[in-house]
Amino acid sequence: MTAYVLHLAILAGIYIILTVSINLIIGYAGQVSLGHAAFYGIGAYASALMSLHYHFPFPAAALTAMLAAGLCGLALGLPTLRLKEDYLAIVTLGFGVIVDLVFLNLEITGGPDGLPGIPPPSFLGLNFREPWHYLILVIVTVILVLIATYRLVDSYHGRALRAIRDHEITAQVMGINTPAYKVVVFTLAAVLAGLAGSLYAHYITFINPETFGLHTSILILTMVVLGGMGSIAGSVLGAVILTILPEMLRQAHAYQELIYGGLLMLLLIWRPAGLLGRGKLSLKFLKRES
Amino acid sequence: MFFQQLINGLTTGSVYALIALGYTMIYGILGLINFAQGEIYMCGAFVAVLLLATGKVNFFLAVALGMGAAALLGVILERVAFRPLRGFHPLVPLISAIGASIFLQSLALLLFGPNDRPFPIQFAFTTIMIAGLPVSTLQMTILAAALGFMGLLIVFVRYTTYGKAIVACALDRDTARLMGINVDRMVSLTFLLGSALSGAAGIMMAIYYNATYPRMGLLPGLKAFSAAILGGVGSIPGAILGGLLLGVAESLGAAYISSGFKDAIAFAILILVLLLRPQGILRGRGD
Repeated sequence: MTAYVLHLAILAGIYIILTVSINLIIGYAGQVSLGHAAFYGIGAYASALMSLHYHFPFPAAALTAMLAAGLCGLALGLPTLRLKEDYLAIVTLGFGVIVDLVFLNLEITGGPDGLPGIPPPSFLGLNFREPWHYLILVIVTVILVLIATYRLVDSYHGRALRAIRDHEITAQVMGINTPAYKVVVFTLAAVLAGLAGSLYAHYITFINPETFGLHTSILILTMVVLGGMGSIAGSVLGAVILTILPEMLRQAHAYQELIYGGLLMLLLIWRPAGLLGRGKLSLKFLKRES
Repeated sequence: MFFQQLINGLTTGSVYALIALGYTMIYGILGLINFAQGEIYMCGAFVAVLLLATGKVNFFLAVALGMGAAALLGVILERVAFRPLRGFHPLVPLISAIGASIFLQSLALLLFGPNDRPFPIQFAFTTIMIAGLPVSTLQMTILAAALGFMGLLIVFVRYTTYGKAIVACALDRDTARLMGINVDRMVSLTFLLGSALSGAAGIMMAIYYNATYPRMGLLPGLKAFSAAILGGVGSIPGAILGGLLLGVAESLGAAYISSGFKDAIAFAILILVLLLRPQGILRGRGD
């Protein structure tokens, strides 16, 4: 039982990183990404391949994962972020499908069978084979990510991002380089998703393309909307709730996607600010014009 | 071989074009992507297939009812997922439509199960020779029916009062309202037309691939959206051109490059178009 609770806590930690990172794109830059699971997968595969083939220690493998996911984010963000937000949604969705196909068809990624036998991290004389050791690693990472995100959104750059979200043209007139900001924040979110992928791969020690498909992207999106777009505490809450809830409703497994889809629609209609996004700021940004 | 692939591409391309018309018309009038367009396509196919499976309904009636059900779903969707969110930040209706899409897909999965359903009736399609080249009459029928629907749509939009009212709303909603056009009704009508066409597309694909299943709308929906962008989103001829071009590119790409990456070709084209000519081939309303 305790092992199971530990397992859920570790997964919740990984989802918190994913949710906080995509919240930067949705809640702060005002863009929608539907391919976030692809960056998560790129991170997981990059990290796994580096440790399996080149025996990289975990920190180096995780850095490679962040770099690989970040580069892909940059390559995808550069052409598309000049355009309107709905284009990004479709392009990232298509990107997710392409990445999934690449994982399925390449030999080096093991095709549909995936990659087994990824070593658990051990560095600085510490061994993270035990689940609760791993939980500490995840918690430390989550705290670092949260501190970095809070520092970012409260800084000059965070205010610039919110200005872009609220009114792009006004932001531009104020001298904010809006395309550059959007590309940077999109890349940053991809980097964090890559980190989450690395944490996942070395924890589960086996990865296959199934984990990184569209349904995961939708799950992360639902977590953000549930917690409140533009609220970091909300992202944490949304990630925790949606990690635990499906476990409590095991019998309702078949209804899981139905619930997520319905939840997305109903939340936006009745409570567009999400559970925690009740602050003036979030509501104002959602109800922009009329 | 080349000719055969070309015909294959034109057949699937004409179906993409029908779905792309729905995207492009809705985008034209509301400036929004209806993410659930693929599920409307699936709904049309399911209603027709289930009706035909009872054995009591004639083919043309089943097609009409399938298109009708798709149109109804489109209108309901607009009421539930789009209209309450008008005037919000554009990503709000976008996410709501994504939710609707997931919801409908999993609802179909629960109701009908994950398995492929074959098309309940058999047709006597054969291959005939035209100018020394083999042509499947099934493909010719699909192509002709798709082009027929497109022709009807163009005639409706160009020459009827309601069609012109839709164009007026797409050009300038506020001015259209001042001219006495009921904008809400035109938005509903746009959803009705676009969804009926997607429903027809779904039925055609159900016959062509002899398979109807809950997730059938996902990839055609995404590809049709790429087609709408390729042609120039908001432009009706653009959607048709984009759909046909995309179908041909996909079919030739699968034959001569790699069949494993067939589904990636449409998205590669989408990203290239956004990079090189974001307004599409025929200048649409996208910027």
